[in-house]
Amino acid sequence: MFDGLSLDIPRGTVTAVMGPSGTGKTTLLNLITGQLNPQDGVVLFDGRVVCPCSRRRLYEVRRKMGVLFQSGALLSNLSAFENVAFPLREHTHLPEELIRQIVLMKLHSVGLRGAWRHMPSQLSGGMARRVALARALVMDPELIIYDEPFVGLDPISMGVIVRLIRQTNDALGITSIVVTHDVAEMEKLADLSYLISNGKVVAHGTPQELQRDSSDAVRQFMQGLADGPVPFHFPGPQYAEQLQEMAHA
Amino acid sequence: MNQTIRACWISFSQFASTFGGFQMFSFRLLPYLPKALLRPGLISEQIYSLGVLSLVLIMFGGLFVGLVLALQSYSTLVEFGSTDSLGAFATEALVRELGPVVAGLLFAGRAGSAVAAEVGLMRATDQIAALELMAVDPIQRIVVPRFIGGAISVPLLAAIFSAMGVLGAYLVGVHLLGVDAGAFWSQIQDRVDAYEDVGVGVLKSIVFGVSVSLMGVFEGFYAAPTAAGVSRAATRTVVITSVWILLLDFVITGLTLPEV
Repeated sequence: MFDGLSLDIPRGTVTAVMGPSGTGKTTLLNLITGQLNPQDGVVLFDGRVVCPCSRRRLYEVRRKMGVLFQSGALLSNLSAFENVAFPLREHTHLPEELIRQIVLMKLHSVGLRGAWRHMPSQLSGGMARRVALARALVMDPELIIYDEPFVGLDPISMGVIVRLIRQTNDALGITSIVVTHDVAEMEKLADLSYLISNGKVVAHGTPQELQRDSSDAVRQFMQGLADGPVPFHFPGPQYAEQLQEMAHA
Repeated sequence: MNQTIRACWISFSQFASTFGGFQMFSFRLLPYLPKALLRPGLISEQIYSLGVLSLVLIMFGGLFVGLVLALQSYSTLVEFGSTDSLGAFATEALVRELGPVVAGLLFAGRAGSAVAAEVGLMRATDQIAALELMAVDPIQRIVVPRFIGGAISVPLLAAIFSAMGVLGAYLVGVHLLGVDAGAFWSQIQDRVDAYEDVGVGVLKSIVFGVSVSLMGVFEGFYAAPTAAGVSRAATRTVVITSVWILLLDFVITGLTLPEV
């Protein structure tokens, strides 16, 4: 999938990882979080190896990370409040009163304190993602990874999520990685962007630098061109050849 | 011919791979079991959702099996003039065979499939991955409490099934067919043995409970993360455990049959 891939995510920034569909963005996310082991090379978090390493060490590292899934991935049998409280209940022995205060504070920060009783099935896509963001923040992580956070959202929800990612990053001094293929939102949000294609980093820099890049791969992606290094047609035999083949079959 | 052999070989490989995977999964659960007992709340939640919510079905099933059993056996017993044995006959059949087997089958249909579907859906909607990324072991938090909850529920449900069956037999035998109530109960007391009958029934229900619960969590945990995958996991749980229960029942019965 990747060949000689090297990325540095500076502390305290919002870094966008972009690329066409199927290019391996989610695989990269899985490598960073230790869900996959690289065949070669290492992933470092805060100067320490994430993978390959033992399960215990991996869980220690993951406690410093928060991941926001595209679907939110809220636990369906728990309310919004209980979903946000879940990591606290699993990893700490805080008194109930303190858990209540922390959870309400986190839900307030994403604007959903009033929906604390709602079950995941009662939340819209944007609301579910905001509750998931509150859950990802509840352990005060050093790194948050957002997997395609803008997919399927209406403009209002999208605006809310963009604002929350930026605010959270700046207010808490954390590092954010946004895996996305949404060029317009990335321009508003990211401090730094990496463009991945065919298993390699084809460009990186600020969103403005990427816009000025004249290479074919970057132009095709940034301008949404149908044909280019990523071909419009899926590879196959010649049209006439295929028609003949299918006629004889 | 070659194609048939290849298809057979593929089927056999798939079976061997699944069976091996199931065994590995079973061994993988073992070290988690003692730790799970430290959080009894999670287990009691599962006993409620798997066991308590199956009670109506089990009680209804047990009552009607007892009613039919009494009706059927009475017509034979009356020919030999031994209708007083109706209670003992029905109770032995219920406690040794029908209770554990039918309760196990009903549990597989009601709760085994529910576990497989629930865990499979958690996989399909990234909830299992989310747990992993929150540094929460999904085996410890999701799988083991469901397994233990199910394994505890089945013996209790089988006992309730048998009790309701005896009640059904009593209602038909004593109140409908005129068997003497004293004879009905005293024959049960005389003939039903705590070890040979009740003990075997309890052993069977424990084995069936472990089998159904284990298969439910296994199929759910490794379900393909699609709608078809989840539905397949639920179906496989019911089909495999039903066959497994009948097969194990035969084996346990053979091994524990009192010498004639």
